[in-house]
Amino acid sequence: MVMAHGPTLLPTFMPVATQAAIKGLTSQQMEDLGVTLILNNTYHLNLRPGIKILREAGGAHKFQGWRKNLLTDSGGFQLVSLSKFTKITEEGALFASPFTGEPTLLTPEESISIQHAIGADIIMQLDDVVSSLTTGPRVEEAMWRSVRWLDRCIAQHKREGRPEQNLFAIIQGGLDSGLREICLEEMVKRKDSVSGFAIGGLSGGEAKDTFWKMIALCAEKLPDDKPRYSMGIGFAEDLLVCVALGVDMADCVFPTRTARFGVALTRQGPLNLRLNKYSQDLDPIDKDCACPTCRSETSRAFIYHNIGTETATAHAVTQHNIVFQAKLMGDVRDAIMKDEYPAFLKSFFKGYYANGKYPHWIVDSLNSVGVDLLEGLQNTQVVDEDGQNWDYA
Amino acid sequence: MTSPNALNPVPTFSFRLRSTSPSRFSPRTGHVTLTRSRPTDGHDSATIELPTPSLVCATSRGVIQHLSQDNVQRTPCAKWIHVPFESFLQIDPPSISRQEGPNPLHSFLGFSPSRHLLSLSLRDPADGREVPANGKEFVSTLTSRGTRKIAAPVFRSYVTTVLPDITFAMSDIPFTPPPHSQKRTTKSVDRSAQWLANILAPLNLPSLPQTPPTRLNVFVHMVGGIRDAARSAFSYMLREPLEPKERTLVQLKNLDEGVSGYVFDLQPLRITLLAEEQKVSLQSLGSPAVPHRPSDDKVCDTFVSLMHASLEEMPVEKPRLVNTTLSPHEMLILIRDVGIDLFDSFWVQQAATWGIALDFRFPVPAGTEEEAKKHLGHNLYDDCYAIDISRLADSFLDGLTHSNRGESADQKNTPPVCPCGACSPTWSNEPLIHSSLDEYTVPRGTVEPASPYTRAYIHHLLHTHEMSAHAFLAMHNFAVLDAFFAGIREVIERDPDSFENEVKRFFAVYDSTFELLDEAKRSYHEVDKARGKGRLAREKELQTAKVAEELDVPVPTVEVVEEAIQG
Repeated sequence: MVMAHGPTLLPTFMPVATQAAIKGLTSQQMEDLGVTLILNNTYHLNLRPGIKILREAGGAHKFQGWRKNLLTDSGGFQLVSLSKFTKITEEGALFASPFTGEPTLLTPEESISIQHAIGADIIMQLDDVVSSLTTGPRVEEAMWRSVRWLDRCIAQHKREGRPEQNLFAIIQGGLDSGLREICLEEMVKRKDSVSGFAIGGLSGGEAKDTFWKMIALCAEKLPDDKPRYSMGIGFAEDLLVCVALGVDMADCVFPTRTARFGVALTRQGPLNLRLNKYSQDLDPIDKDCACPTCRSETSRAFIYHNIGTETATAHAVTQHNIVFQAKLMGDVRDAIMKDEYPAFLKSFFKGYYANGKYPHWIVDSLNSVGVDLLEGLQNTQVVDEDGQNWDYA
Repeated sequence: MTSPNALNPVPTFSFRLRSTSPSRFSPRTGHVTLTRSRPTDGHDSATIELPTPSLVCATSRGVIQHLSQDNVQRTPCAKWIHVPFESFLQIDPPSISRQEGPNPLHSFLGFSPSRHLLSLSLRDPADGREVPANGKEFVSTLTSRGTRKIAAPVFRSYVTTVLPDITFAMSDIPFTPPPHSQKRTTKSVDRSAQWLANILAPLNLPSLPQTPPTRLNVFVHMVGGIRDAARSAFSYMLREPLEPKERTLVQLKNLDEGVSGYVFDLQPLRITLLAEEQKVSLQSLGSPAVPHRPSDDKVCDTFVSLMHASLEEMPVEKPRLVNTTLSPHEMLILIRDVGIDLFDSFWVQQAATWGIALDFRFPVPAGTEEEAKKHLGHNLYDDCYAIDISRLADSFLDGLTHSNRGESADQKNTPPVCPCGACSPTWSNEPLIHSSLDEYTVPRGTVEPASPYTRAYIHHLLHTHEMSAHAFLAMHNFAVLDAFFAGIREVIERDPDSFENEVKRFFAVYDSTFELLDEAKRSYHEVDKARGKGRLAREKELQTAKVAEELDVPVPTVEVVEEAIQG
């Protein structure tokens, strides 16, 4: 995928820099880690520092000193998740401005204009977001409204003439495959006016079985020649399944947020470095990892000593987790190029679920694309679990 | 055949005075050299050099605050790094004491033996909190899991296990509520001398020749509290011939023979002097009772005379290190009046935590005198920086502007470049590669200058409670302090007589009270208190309350707003 700020290889994972910074790190550090695409949140940047300052600084890239690609969301999701009083009307999302308290309207046009001012390489349509657990007519209403708002976003995007910025549509429709299909059909009709498609409204607490089926459904119907972006996906197991189903991009705060709580990601599962069992463990997080933290042989014991007290230690684990995600996706790219992705999946999950307990949704989802994870394995068990593999004790 | 030296776990420390000082306490320049004869980082040996006066980085729990290891590497002035050991005592045995290899302390903390000189003390010199009384045989230390008593032989065993390059001998400096009686001070002096003897005893490693004896590089705290007589007594104890029994054990004529340098911790002196002056106890100052603003002239004069009492009879050629100064003014006074060589950088790191970007130079650039007193930096929390897209410091250039100016620029009137990761960031020539295709998409091979980060960006990061703000400020403040010391060395070496005049100019131009610090600290706590879910609402509430107070109008409630929207 080549954009105004260089190429980004797909599939990829996008770390989230909510407020124009990956927590604790500088843009130089991010580039050093081999990251070429990060995400900023429009809702947050619009509040702070505000569009006026971003314009003054020459856009979000310049403001945060980032010279690679950038994606902004539309702000719609945060309006729903962070603001208690948001009311959705056909015109737009009405909410209490957190600054003045005054009722403020965010329209699709306004969202696009803000994203134009921010200047990200990929911008997202304003969609009508409902929680993935919502049922009833509201889901259908939101789906249709998202389609109508897409048209307004496309119109605004064309009007303001920003060809170097790429607008993505967002597929909605909740967990109802009928609605998803309608949404897909409507939005794919507009494929010449958008640069890519996101799959929204998932990863909000729905059953894993439903989750993968929705992804599979969307990926199946989306055009091959446009990137597909799964919003809010960050667990290694989810990423690998999504890629198998045909997804190219994903973002999530999970790897960076969990790092600040002392959880380091590895191919053998996450390590919770706050646990006493690591207090005397002089090994690095992962001796084969190329991140600055593992290369300098920072021990688990030293991280245990300082996580939660020294910010620099949170930075160190954050760097590791970002590299973990990036390297995972890099290995995925290599495996796909060599036509060895099924073998890669088998080998990854064998290490990740070393106890032999495979969540059935992973086995099922990969079976749906012809990958039999359990083939040739003994002593495995298919279990009814989400598969997050937490390091508890 | 490896030379016996190659087995020596202790590097060679040396200090050489460069300028010939007219008197014992004149400002002076010098040179620290640390040589490792053991193979290091892939080299057969390594030498670390540091011109003085210079800075020593302070650490908290083994890290230079806010700097991950790669950012430490972006901070080349971090050469001498001081590590207090006490935080590691929170678990027994300390995990650090199980680290293996030739440089266990470096390895555990992730510092580089070829670039970093590590010194170690038992206690954190910046921690002025009250601690239970020390005993005849032990010092009370503070860990995050309570206090621990450490005896001199135990400290020695930790030191000989983790192998710092320089060890600050364990000293009996009381952190019980002042004032301290004369009897208490006498004990402090006696115990500190005894514990010094313990740490100076030869290492007696079977792999090493017994003569000459191998020992640690040891610096000693010049104790004696705020009593000149006690200070003189301690320095006398360092010089007096050892008793035969002790002499056999330590294998030295006197203690000072084994001492590589002298240390002064200002924090305990400040607390004691403050209590003396205000007749208040340590408890009533609150905890942590750590003064954060520089001391006034009177207190600085006292520091000077106490240090004179300690050093009056001591050899001039050994380095003198001061911990926990709180301003460049204090540093200048101690260089001018005592001839101090090394200072910890605690206060500039603290300023980074509180959102201050330092902006001062020594000697003061020509033409700045007429202006009103300048602040030492910028409190970037202040709203006046919200749209300020200039670089962090006015007194320095950024790397990009500098490289764009090229050779033709007027060298004389051009400010120096601030080399820090905020003002002169550079793009890496070696980003990580994650797949075989990456190589074709990632530019490699050239280091390119990046745009400097702006005050507006750091202001934004501070107000959104983003940790990156402090990383930028820490890198920047180190660079400003490093340039300050470079300026001091330059003036002393060029014309020692002009130093006093340059100090006067500095005092005339820059605010010595550092009131900016209080302002920044207040903003820091406001943002800290407001953070979390509903932050904007809380900030709004505070703002409205302030406005309402001024206008004397009722404050609209959340419900009113909600109704307005629902309706």
